[in-house]
Amino acid sequence: MKKGDIKAEGEVKMRSKYYTTWEEYKEKYPKLKGRSESVIGPKIEKYEDIMFNFLVGLLM
Amino acid sequence: MTDKANQMDKAKLTNEREQLLKDLFEGKVPKRVPISNPATLEFAVQHAGMPMDEAQWDVSKLDTVYDKFCQDFVFDVNPVATQRIPSFYQMLGSRAIVMGSGGFMQHPEVVGLMAEEYDEFIASPYDCIVEKVLPRLYTELDAGPNQKAMALAKAMRVHQDDYTTLGIIREKMNAKYGLVVVNQALTEAPFDFMADFLRGFKGISGDIRRHPDKVLAASEAVLPLMVKKGTVPNSQMFEVAFIPLHMAPYLRDQDFERFYWPTFKRVVEALVAKGIKVSLFVEHDWMRFLDYLYELPENTIMRFEYGDPKLVKEKLGKKHILSGFYPITLLQTGTAQQCVEKAKELIDILAPGGKYWFNADKSIISADSNGTVAKNLQAVLEHVYEKGRY
Repeated sequence: MKKGDIKAEGEVKMRSKYYTTWEEYKEKYPKLKGRSESVIGPKIEKYEDIMFNFLVGLLM
Repeated sequence: MTDKANQMDKAKLTNEREQLLKDLFEGKVPKRVPISNPATLEFAVQHAGMPMDEAQWDVSKLDTVYDKFCQDFVFDVNPVATQRIPSFYQMLGSRAIVMGSGGFMQHPEVVGLMAEEYDEFIASPYDCIVEKVLPRLYTELDAGPNQKAMALAKAMRVHQDDYTTLGIIREKMNAKYGLVVVNQALTEAPFDFMADFLRGFKGISGDIRRHPDKVLAASEAVLPLMVKKGTVPNSQMFEVAFIPLHMAPYLRDQDFERFYWPTFKRVVEALVAKGIKVSLFVEHDWMRFLDYLYELPENTIMRFEYGDPKLVKEKLGKKHILSGFYPITLLQTGTAQQCVEKAKELIDILAPGGKYWFNADKSIISADSNGTVAKNLQAVLEHVYEKGRY
């Protein structure tokens, strides 16, 4: 199977007030900008995803 | 054998099993047919002679349960998987998933989304889920903000604690029995997601007549969430997005083609594009949709509940990985010899050329009191292990 044969969906856009991306989070907490973003960003997003998986999982 | 020699022996066994699955997932012919045990946690608890609710509420007791399960049956894939544990459901006041009187976790028909809420759902599915659907189905979330926050905090904490305990048990079984872990994320076809807990069977059946455009728009809106849900968070050797397929067999052909198939296919394609293997439980009868299933990305895993295995192998077996078909009812009603003969028949049909993973047509939930199912299952799994070789 060639990867090119598969049509990718594109980036998942949540469009929700209950899911904050790292970029949105930095706008809310500007003091975090430029401070070890490669460490803080993934951690913040990880817990958004944990919450998402838990809540949507309650409906499966 | 010394402990160290035993550990090395089991590590070697794990490596061999990992190679089986690696070959299977890549579409190569493995050394033998990989085996999953169709019996569930509930069966394992009964098999160990433990009370159902006690074993599921005190997850640490599952150590003994799984130890006996792994000792008594031969299989390759670690059975300690994501399963329904009652603790967090109870703490949230679940109406959607409840423990029945026999200790089995059940999903009664529920309606989490009203028909008049379609537009709100389409505008932002996650917002609507948080604000409307979950409070309707989980009573502790239908409360003031402080109470809701505490209920959610407790439920998430017990969820984490219980699954951490299960994770420890899983690693212990791996080390002791040389098993393979297949890391699974559960997701659904968008139409099934709209049906299962949101609109219900009756609701969605009416919606495709009364509000077809809204059903289409809602499936489209929830599609990214289904892709996200199916994305396994940690990179593991064997990452699988598990998708049980529900509503399709109840739809007319034209409704399947319009409402079910397009968004489902896009979810599978999106997951495969991320490097995730997709594993389908093709529930009920999909024989009229085999040509559609063929269109899915190569080496999609398909476990069939019903159907003609010969026809399925002919139409799908060169492209996709097949599983299922073994009738669990035979384990209750047949002799050991009849059960083994059936396994042999399926191996003869499905194994040639590879792309075959042994499993049953359904999950085995109940253990009969005289142990017939367990004995027959042992005989079948041992036969597949010994004879399912290329």
